[in-house]
Amino acid sequence: MYIAHHQVPAGDTAQPKVWLENVSKQYGSVTALQPSDLKVRSGEFLTILGPSGSGKSTVLNLIAGMTNPTAGRVWIDGRDCTNVPPSKRGLGMVFQNYALMPHMSVFENVAFPLRVRRVTEAEIKRRVGEALDLVRLPSVAGRKPAELSGGQQQRISIARCLVYNPSIILMDEPLGALDKKLREEMQLELKRLHVELKVTALYVTHDQEEALTMSDRIVLFNGGRIEQAGTPHELYFRPRTLFSARFLGDSNVLSGKLQGRAQDGLVETPVGLLRSSNGNEHVGDGESVHLMVRPENVMLLSPDNKHEYANAVEATVVDTISFGGVIKTFARLSDGSTMTVQELTRARRQAFDRGARVRLAWQAEDMLLLPAA
Amino acid sequence: MDKERDVEALGGSAPSPLVATAAWLGFVYLLLPSLIIIPMSFGDTREIVFPPATYTLDLYREYFTNPTWTGSTIQSIRIAVIATLAGLALGTSAAYGIVRGSFRGKVLLGALLLSPFFVPAVVKALGFYIYFAALGIQGTTLSVMLGHTLFVTPYVMIVMMAALRNVDAQIEAAGMIMGASRIYVFRKVTLPMLRNALIAAGLFAFLMSFDEMIIAFFLSGFGTATLPVKMYESIVHEVSPVLSAISALLTFLALVICLAVTALSGRSGRQPSH
Repeated sequence: MYIAHHQVPAGDTAQPKVWLENVSKQYGSVTALQPSDLKVRSGEFLTILGPSGSGKSTVLNLIAGMTNPTAGRVWIDGRDCTNVPPSKRGLGMVFQNYALMPHMSVFENVAFPLRVRRVTEAEIKRRVGEALDLVRLPSVAGRKPAELSGGQQQRISIARCLVYNPSIILMDEPLGALDKKLREEMQLELKRLHVELKVTALYVTHDQEEALTMSDRIVLFNGGRIEQAGTPHELYFRPRTLFSARFLGDSNVLSGKLQGRAQDGLVETPVGLLRSSNGNEHVGDGESVHLMVRPENVMLLSPDNKHEYANAVEATVVDTISFGGVIKTFARLSDGSTMTVQELTRARRQAFDRGARVRLAWQAEDMLLLPAA
Repeated sequence: MDKERDVEALGGSAPSPLVATAAWLGFVYLLLPSLIIIPMSFGDTREIVFPPATYTLDLYREYFTNPTWTGSTIQSIRIAVIATLAGLALGTSAAYGIVRGSFRGKVLLGALLLSPFFVPAVVKALGFYIYFAALGIQGTTLSVMLGHTLFVTPYVMIVMMAALRNVDAQIEAAGMIMGASRIYVFRKVTLPMLRNALIAAGLFAFLMSFDEMIIAFFLSGFGTATLPVKMYESIVHEVSPVLSAISALLTFLALVICLAVTALSGRSGRQPSH
């Protein structure tokens, strides 16, 4: 279960599938991973999310045993695996470039882990057939990987993982090489397999949308440490830092200084006094803070509109771009900064021309206080 | 894929006629001595002349029936086969260690293992001669086999290192994560993927050992001489016209092996594009 340095796990009684106990990794003078504590619960779909170089691949390699930690211990199923080689950890892994054996048929590829385990020929035949059925490719057993499309190859590498029921399946940006449409299809496919088979999955990606779609929980990495961990809902609606807010979803960020007590959430900004009803334990009275509001929570109103929103600022429309289902309006505030407003496309939507004076408004509960540092 | 496109781009424009002519002249100049041998090999047994007065197969008949020639040919084949197999085993393991391993002094060790490549043949031959004489095996077939093994190993290493760098290490990692030991992965995954490179390296090693003259000359003794050594002796004592037939056959063997290696390298390293 949880994670992170400061969070107290709720109901953390069951044994974690994987536990990185205060693990860190140094490459010479470079710190790839600062001491971090991370638990993967049995049966959950956990995503390690972060930009490149944030330490997420290091976490994966440490669990897989491809590299050894500089400090700390790696536990898998309650067993100390810190010094156990990859072949003895009982894991499965799906790679971005599939890593199928090019000289073997699809059947032999999927049979590989079974042959390693000296399963009988009849049993191999049955289980490979089942695994290929699971990934909906029952008819390609005789072909070579190179004869299949990228999406099909990735399904085969997933089948190769499922066939021997590993304790946990590690996935290293498995959809990174596929085009957008196929990627979305495979996301649903992976989600279906996870729900059907109740396997524990650890998924590494830099794609926030992928993480939000698929995960039970997300652990966001930044600069070799855990930035924030929680459900997709928590990370999206309750980011604790500016980095989290910016990495997941679009965000409008304003800067200001807290007036009075922090819990009142009154912030003096260059565009006026704004109010947030969300406290943040990491900001103190009178401190400089960032304010974040999602574009979909900002209303676009005409300047004379009477409204009941706690926050409202005057702005000038700079541009309007339609993305099909949604429309984004970019508006310049009086201090020169730009805010984005996202609305659903509706025929009766009130349109504003470029240069039009507008009022941007949002609720106090939709604005978050974030520490300035 | 990008590579193929680059090669196409490079070879796409036709060279100027002057460059082409110069290239062909150079090519013919290099090839001429080998080409002249071929008509001569069909001459008769009395003397080496060009062009031959009559065309016969007498020289080939002489080569295939004279025990001096057949014996030394079999000797050369035996030595080349053993040196090739030993060189493949040593060169491939060394290449695997250098390319896949991560240990201190890796670069230095690689350079050391490749160093025989840069030492002149005479120096190697003399070193072997003194060393094997001290061991008391100088002049035996074994000593030539050992010498030739060391001679071909660096070449095998170079070919196998290049081939290994083309094998995606993640495929091997995948095998190990699925529970296979490193040795199992090497046998069932790495080696099969190196098949073409192994055949190419083996063919090259065989040809190099079979053609090698200086080390064999230093190390072989009475009754253990290889074909090139016998040819050299025959030139020193009496210039036998049979030599032109043997040379033609050796040229043919080299040509066949080069074509085979070219065909193999055209297909090797083709991995599914991602």
